Amino acid sequence: MKSFANVNPREMKDAVAQLRQPNAIVVGGGSDLLGLVKEHLVQPDVLVNLKAIRGLDQVSAKGAEVHIGGLITLDTLSHEPLIRKNYTVLAEAAESVATPQIRNVGTLAGNVCQRPWCWYYRNGFPCFKNGGNKCFSVAGENQFHAIFGGGPSFIVHPSDTAPALLALDAKFRVAGPAGERTVPAADFFALPRVNASKENVLAKDEVLVSIQLPRAARGVRSSYHKVLDREAWTHAVVSAAMVLDMDQDICKSARIVLGGVAPIPWRLPKVEAMLAGQRITPELAARAGDAAVEGANPLAKNGYKVPLTKAVVRRTLLGLTAKA
Amino acid sequence: MNTLNQVGHPSPRIDAQKRVTGTATYTGDIRLPGMLYARVLRSPHAHARIRRIDVSRAQALPGVKAILTRENCDVVWGSGDTRNKRYLFNNPVRFAGDAVAAVAAMDRHTAEEATRLIEVDYGTLPFVLDPEDALKPGAVEIQPGGNHSPNNQGARQPEVYRRGNIEEGLRAADQVFEDHYTSAHINNAQLEPRVSIAQWEGDKLTVYASTQGISNCHTEIARDLKLAPENVRVICQFMGGGFGNKNQCHDFDLMAAMLAKQTGAPVKLEFTRKEDFLAVHGRWPTKQYYKVGVKRDGTLTAIQLRGYSGMGPYRKGSGGIAGIEIYQCPHVERSVTQAYTNMAVSANLRGPDYPQGVFGIESLMDDIAYSLNMDPVDFRLKNMTRKFNDQTPYTSIGLEDCIRRGAEAFEWKKRWHAPGVGFGPVKRGAGMAMGSFFSSLGRSSAVIDLDSRGMYHVHVGVTDIGTAAKTTMALIAAEELGVPLEKIDVIWGDTGRCPYSVGESGSRTTTHTGYAVVQAAKDLKRQIAEKGLPQGDQMLTAAANTNPTVQNAARYSFVAHFAEVEVDIELGHVKVVKYVAAHDSGRVVNPLTATSQVKGGAIMGIGMALHEELLYDKQTGLPLTAGYYGARVMTHLDAPEIEVHWIETEDPYGPFGAKTLGEPTIIPSVAAVANAIYNAIGKRVKDLPITRDKILAVLA
Repeated sequence: MKSFANVNPREMKDAVAQLRQPNAIVVGGGSDLLGLVKEHLVQPDVLVNLKAIRGLDQVSAKGAEVHIGGLITLDTLSHEPLIRKNYTVLAEAAESVATPQIRNVGTLAGNVCQRPWCWYYRNGFPCFKNGGNKCFSVAGENQFHAIFGGGPSFIVHPSDTAPALLALDAKFRVAGPAGERTVPAADFFALPRVNASKENVLAKDEVLVSIQLPRAARGVRSSYHKVLDREAWTHAVVSAAMVLDMDQDICKSARIVLGGVAPIPWRLPKVEAMLAGQRITPELAARAGDAAVEGANPLAKNGYKVPLTKAVVRRTLLGLTAKA
Repeated sequence: MNTLNQVGHPSPRIDAQKRVTGTATYTGDIRLPGMLYARVLRSPHAHARIRRIDVSRAQALPGVKAILTRENCDVVWGSGDTRNKRYLFNNPVRFAGDAVAAVAAMDRHTAEEATRLIEVDYGTLPFVLDPEDALKPGAVEIQPGGNHSPNNQGARQPEVYRRGNIEEGLRAADQVFEDHYTSAHINNAQLEPRVSIAQWEGDKLTVYASTQGISNCHTEIARDLKLAPENVRVICQFMGGGFGNKNQCHDFDLMAAMLAKQTGAPVKLEFTRKEDFLAVHGRWPTKQYYKVGVKRDGTLTAIQLRGYSGMGPYRKGSGGIAGIEIYQCPHVERSVTQAYTNMAVSANLRGPDYPQGVFGIESLMDDIAYSLNMDPVDFRLKNMTRKFNDQTPYTSIGLEDCIRRGAEAFEWKKRWHAPGVGFGPVKRGAGMAMGSFFSSLGRSSAVIDLDSRGMYHVHVGVTDIGTAAKTTMALIAAEELGVPLEKIDVIWGDTGRCPYSVGESGSRTTTHTGYAVVQAAKDLKRQIAEKGLPQGDQMLTAAANTNPTVQNAARYSFVAHFAEVEVDIELGHVKVVKYVAAHDSGRVVNPLTATSQVKGGAIMGIGMALHEELLYDKQTGLPLTAGYYGARVMTHLDAPEIEVHWIETEDPYGPFGAKTLGEPTIIPSVAAVANAIYNAIGKRVKDLPITRDKILAVLA
């Protein structure tokens, strides 16, 4: 790998200032970044290491809200009792990531901001993500690529925790040169038609600092269902993060977000509306599955994701309502 | 009943403690004083002519000590290609990963940085990936003379085997079945990445290799570098797996030696995991077209195979497609064509010709059994080989017992059912397949010294690629000598201290070198009887150079595997839930490590069936899935329990009747899983690997 300097700021504002140097890049757990640097996909001169900044690896209740530091490891997050109990979907998503070794160092913010695992990008093809102006998957091997929201890049967003956070209506705290700002999860991720070289709205000198979750209503149930190609250490082929607010057996409201199908976590507002105020029967769940893939636009080799997505949505829904 | 004291009893590896406590010195652990580090620059193109290489910027980088390219190094790597002249650095480069330059520097970082400073002007050429496309008129010529790689007779013709008359056999059939199958290029994926350390003292070269065969590595380094064999020493004390891609000397051994020569310092050359997947070799991808004629009662009348193997651009392996010989049949024709392509090189991977061929023929035989309303087990019992090629008797054959006992242990009658039945989205299915593998006998050597303390020093040229060869040799020596295992001291892995041993490929070590150990032990016992035990500084030495042969018989190992899968037909997800393996490998020397071999082979086969493929982008000819993540190699969570049964036939040859084992373990596993999937869902996927997209496609 290329030579670089490492700096260990103790304050976030120093970190942000350091990031303004040419060719500086932020590092949390480093589990993804190290691979990118080794493969020369990123070639930083300065690594701005956040690990010396205190307090960013905690879960804390702030009034009705819960704040989660971006540097919390996926392993710690998945075992946090408050998260497991009230925000199950997030705990399940965190524990579905990669391998124990990676979850021990990989952070929540890092998982949310992880670069795509498209094999064209990771193998250094001159694609949109590598500074080029082409998506090789369009006429190539697109088995794992997007069926929604694609174009001009057809990557799928690689994060497991991102769909969970969007389903939980999280807010992202972002630090930048002008101080901190709050970005709703729904506005954090960006489609390639906005900017095909990146996956979110973070500027180069901004850092995802923490995540705020709204109060969990009493009747809320949630879960994350991930389909993987082997039993461990792959990204989602298709996944569903689902949060249902239930009153007895009636679904008052639902938030459903898919992973593995689009360049961003893919919310299903139409399906959510269809479920609101309804008793979730197997028939309704099947209709929800069908509605989930309306507008899907598969490429030559990823058409299988359409029936797969239907089944995942239907099953996750039924699994959650049977949970009572 | 086992009347032996050592052989046949489970015995932990004699080096187990060193391995698990991290004190075993693998090649990558070795550091020599003043050692330099080397890295290789590789082609980023599938096929390109190098118009110019400029190393001046790399040379100027502080810490860079030597750079090799085609311009200053014309060493030919003999075992890199058996048909063409393959240099360490070739022009044109013929696959993405072909070596372009090697750099030695003070440290790894500098060496890697220097490779990036080498400026190469490539003129890209057309490329071809598919072996059948490569043979079409107008395809780009990858090697002089065309892409049809010459057969064993040197002719650009297919390798052909015939018996009977295929047309007659097809005419005699009540029904002819015809189908085709493909298998993918997959990598050996051994845990230990490649590394080689070379050191010169005057004109004497020592190579610390990670090799499956110190003897052949030694011979070939001497040949390729034009050195006297006595001036070359190869050492490999502990190695971390190879599965066929670490046999022989490799280009990186030669590069390390040339860099060490040029710099006057020891040089360690290391690969990254990605290089390991691309730059050496993997299993050859195949396309297989079958016609099988059968009578209404299930009797086979004809088997025809027309196959194509993609060898990559260099002919390093046989490219054969085996499997049909497991059936008795009067009319057989097999024609296999090896083609050059611009994919990664293909050569030996555990049972080189077999798992892909057995996948093809056993898929089709399964379909035939179903179509005739026969139980697939009965169909195989009816048609399995009784004599090799229906002509030569086997020295021993336990195939029928493998099938019967395996089926019984698996509860075949209970688990197997009509295809694609069952309620709910998760379908269960059972499948089986069988196989055989040549159990060779041949040349090897052993030396045993007995000292006055009563220690037996067994010198054998094994490296132990994970099969526990050292322990096997110790057990065989202890058995024949009639002494406890603690009295055996094995000296291995060093051509300076050990006699010739066959390379640890072809599953030959136990039978070849084990036999030499038996003969040396017999000689030593004779000497003891004659001269008495040694006293003081005395030493008794017995040496055996053996080359046993089998007369008028064929010596084979046999195997049947049984798999049960659950297929979720909505998710396309496959899980292997039960697995039984029954093996006739003659006498089992060490049931503990032999069982591990079977588990490893079966799991490797399941990965080949379900996941692994070095996938290429057809637009650029570049690989997409090199490395453990991309190849989807099996994890512990994916591996089912493997139940192992031994059918210990009495074989008159080999050490205590031991036949071959390491490679048969993978041979029927791919087909067993494929057949179980068919039984579960009632649809057949004919292209490996059987991934989710293909399952959902056949079910759609």
